[in-house]
Amino acid sequence: MEIKDVVFSYDQKTEHLKKVSSVIQHGKVTTIIGPNGCGKSTLLGVMSKNYEPKSGEVLLDGKAISSYKPKELAKKLAVVHQHNDAPADITVEKLVSYGRMPHKGMLSQNKEEDEQAIEWALTCTNLLAKRNRPIDQLSGGERQRVWIAMSLAQRTPILFLDEPTTYLDIYYQIELLELIRDLNVRHGLTIVMVLHDINQAIRYSDQIMVMKEGEIIVRGTPEEVINQETMKAIYGVNVVVRQEQGLGLYIVPVGI
Amino acid sequence: MKTATSGRTLGMNKIVWSYIGVTVLLVAVTCYSAVTGSLKVSVIELFEGLFSGTHETVNIIKDLRFPRIIVSLYTGASLAVSGVLLQAVMRNPLADAGVIGISSGAGLFSLLFVSFFPALFFWMPLFAFIGGAFACFLVYSLSWKSGLSPVRIILVGIAINAMFTGMGQSFNYRGSYAAGSVNQATTSIFTMKIWKDVDIMLLYGSIGLIASLFLYSWCNVLSLQDKTAKNLGIHVTRARLVISIVAVLLAAVSTAVGGLIAFVGLLVPHISRFLVGSDHKVLIPFSALAGALLILSADTIGRTVLAPSEIPASIIMTIIGGPFLIFLLRKGGRIHGN
Repeated sequence: MEIKDVVFSYDQKTEHLKKVSSVIQHGKVTTIIGPNGCGKSTLLGVMSKNYEPKSGEVLLDGKAISSYKPKELAKKLAVVHQHNDAPADITVEKLVSYGRMPHKGMLSQNKEEDEQAIEWALTCTNLLAKRNRPIDQLSGGERQRVWIAMSLAQRTPILFLDEPTTYLDIYYQIELLELIRDLNVRHGLTIVMVLHDINQAIRYSDQIMVMKEGEIIVRGTPEEVINQETMKAIYGVNVVVRQEQGLGLYIVPVGI
Repeated sequence: MKTATSGRTLGMNKIVWSYIGVTVLLVAVTCYSAVTGSLKVSVIELFEGLFSGTHETVNIIKDLRFPRIIVSLYTGASLAVSGVLLQAVMRNPLADAGVIGISSGAGLFSLLFVSFFPALFFWMPLFAFIGGAFACFLVYSLSWKSGLSPVRIILVGIAINAMFTGMGQSFNYRGSYAAGSVNQATTSIFTMKIWKDVDIMLLYGSIGLIASLFLYSWCNVLSLQDKTAKNLGIHVTRARLVISIVAVLLAAVSTAVGGLIAFVGLLVPHISRFLVGSDHKVLIPFSALAGALLILSADTIGRTVLAPSEIPASIIMTIIGGPFLIFLLRKGGRIHGN
C-alpha cells in the first residue's frame, strides 16, 4: 500500500494532512504515533477511503483506492474504529456476521464460506463461548474483540485499527495487542494501527510512523525511530531510552 | 456454552411467541371488527354469508365494513414499517413520519391535488408521495451538519410538521363550502372508505411493504456507524436514499388514503423491538403485523365505544402516543448500546 502526496482538510482552511507520502509494508505491523491532533486517525481515514483527500492518492495493489467499488475495497481492507455503536441487544455472532456483507451478492451467497469465516473470526478473538450473548452484556475488552472479529470475518489481507486500546485497562490492552500480533504472525495479516502508548508501539510493531502537525516526520523500525531527540521534538517530553536484555527497547518519560 | 445455547432458544422462543400472539390477536380483532357495529351478525353467519353471497346483512357489511378494515390494516402496517425504516435511516429512535412532517407534507399535497383534480383520485398517492418526499428532503437538508444529529432531526422535523399542518388547515378554512369535500384527506376517519380506496391502498401499500422486506440487511448495517457501514462495503448514501423512498411511499399512501395519523411509526417499532429485538429481518414484518393490529383496534374502539358517534383512530392514537413519546424521551439512550 502506498500513500502519495496526500493533502486533506476538514474545513478547507487548514491542511490537516500536508503532502503525506509513505509506504505500508506488506505483512508487517505498522504503528502510527504522534501527539493529539497530529492527523494519525485522519491519515487512517484517508487510507480506508472514509475521507476523500483534496489531492494526492492512496494506492492499494497498484490501483487508486478511489477507483475501488466499496465492496471491492471491503474485501481487501477492514477497519476497526475507535468508537463503535450497535443496538444493545445484538448478539456477538450476529454482529460478527455483518463482516460477511462485502461477500454477499444480490442473490448469491456462499453459506459455507460465510460460516467458516465467522467461526474463524470467533476462534481468533476467543469469543466462541460468548457467541450468543448480546453485546451489552460484554466487558469493554470483549466488546472491542467483537468489533475486531467482525473485521476479521471480512477475510481481508489488511486490517486497520484506530486506537484499539483506548478505554481498556492494561490487562485488556495487552490481551488485544497480543491478539493483533498473533493475527500478523500466524495469519499473515498486514496491520496498520494508531497507538498512544510508545512502549506498546515499540513492542508490537515492525514499523513505526511518527507524525506531527499533519506530516510524517520519520518512519522506520522502533530502534531507528525511537530516541531521545525524536521524543523531545515530537512530544516535547524528555525521555530516557533504555535497551535491556530480555526487555528490549523501552522509554521512561522523565520530564517536560 | 450451555447457558449460551439456552439463551439463544429463549430469544427464539420470545420471537416465535410474539409472532403467534400478534397474529392471533390480529385475526381475532379483524373478526370482531367485522361483526361489531350497528349491524350485527355472528362470526359463523359472517363466514357463511361471505361464501354463499346471499346473506343480506353480510353483503352490506362487506361493502361498508370490509374496505374500512382493510384500509385500517394497511394504514397501520405501512405507518409502522415506515417508522422502522426512518429510524434505521436516521439512526434515530424518535423518527416517525407523523412527527417529522412527512405525513403532513403528504397530506397537504394530496389535499391540494384532491381540490384541483378530483377526477384523478387514483393518482393521489403519487402526489402525496411527492409531498412526503419534499418534507423528508427538507428535514434531511436542514438538519444535516456534517452528520445527522438525532435531536436536530426531531426539532427540524417538528417545525416542518407544524408548517405543513398549518398550511393544510388554512387551506381548509379558505371557504366552508369546500371544506366538507376535502376533510377526509386531512383527518383520519375510516368511515367513508369504499372499495376504490382499497384498490389504491392494496396497490401502493403492497409495493412499499414488499419492498421493505428486502431492505433488512441495509437497515441492520446502518444501525452501526456510517463509517463502519462504509467499511463493510455499503453505499451508505444510496442505501439511505432507497430506504427513505420506501419509507416515504408507505407514509404517503397511508396518509392519502387513511388520513393523518401520528405516533404509529413511533409506538409500534419500539414495542416490536422490545418483543423481537432489533434485527430488521424479524423486526420489519413484525412491526407490519403489530401496526395493523394497533390501527384496526384503535378504529374499532373508536367506532364502538361511543356508538353511534365515532372517535377517529387518529385522535385515539394522539391520546396514546403523546404519553408514550414522553416515556421514550425519558428512557433516553437505552436504545443503542456501547
